[in-house]
Amino acid sequence: MSEIKVVESILHTHEELTSRNKQVFNEKGIYVINMMSSPGSGKTSLLEQVISKLKGNVRIAVIEGDLYTTKDAERIEAQGVPVVQINTGGACHLDGKMIKGALESFNLDDVDLLVIENVGNLVCPAAFDLGEDIKITVLSTPEGNDKPLKYPRMFEDSGAIILNKLDLLEFTNFDKAEFYKDINSLNAHATIFETSCVKDQGINELCTWLNHQIDHKKTRSWITPKIGLPEMIK
Amino acid sequence: MHEVSIIQSVIEIVTQKALENKLTKINNVSLKIGELSGVMPESLHFAFDSCIQGTMLEESTLSIEKVSALGECKDCNLQFPIEHFNKLCPNCKTFCSSVVRGYELYVNTIEGD
Repeated sequence: MSEIKVVESILHTHEELTSRNKQVFNEKGIYVINMMSSPGSGKTSLLEQVISKLKGNVRIAVIEGDLYTTKDAERIEAQGVPVVQINTGGACHLDGKMIKGALESFNLDDVDLLVIENVGNLVCPAAFDLGEDIKITVLSTPEGNDKPLKYPRMFEDSGAIILNKLDLLEFTNFDKAEFYKDINSLNAHATIFETSCVKDQGINELCTWLNHQIDHKKTRSWITPKIGLPEMIK
Repeated sequence: MHEVSIIQSVIEIVTQKALENKLTKINNVSLKIGELSGVMPESLHFAFDSCIQGTMLEESTLSIEKVSALGECKDCNLQFPIEHFNKLCPNCKTFCSSVVRGYELYVNTIEGD
């Protein structure tokens, strides 16, 4: 009998594709968001609001991940931005291969911001990077403030967390102080937004922040490949 | 969490390595799983036993080595054990800036004939 050292990542196929996707995003200077949450937290509604406020200045494209149906994609399409629906047919998360396939439907030279709306699920999507610049997790007040502790990985890996459905706060027992305390123990670096889509609350702040991120990515991508730039500046 | 797809990927990796190394039968597969990875060893064992039927791994056993989580402090460079909800540096009390290990998910070794 012989023992063979393997040391190979179980997710290697996905990771290779993801790293290729990431390279494309960086070359094109596209800011990419992997948007995650449980089903019904308001990801699509938030996206509708953000698109309507940003689309005059920012070229947006959206990938919609769902198990079945094109319901979310139709809502985004109504906003007049390019959208591709991925139906996972029951699979609980999006992966690098699905994203690669979806990217073929866009003209990536005409995209500043790509939003990938992941399958509604607080567990599995957290383990699969998609080549994004940032993971944003949405939590809505009716879900309860205990979710970050119960599903830590997703909140742990997110660069930003959106507390949505703030208008329903008074009808729930959601404890905001506990929520902030838990997020702080899990992921002290996350930027937190509080929003309500029906009251148009916090969406402008979110958009201002997003604009800044998009600009930053464009600048960074423009400088990175031009190795001779410091010479030119001299 | 998607333990079946993880095991299917393990079977693919192991089968390919076995063929490269001219093994005809696998006796043991050893994985390293980080304690922050969100993967349950019990579920992996269950998925493994179901999925190896009819493959080269059919009679093999699965060993899982858990990898404890370790963070690093950017201020004092100390490496210290972390948990999902406790990532403060014991010296400086600042939030850990990088996770050194704990998210591992890989095939470590295989044994076969």
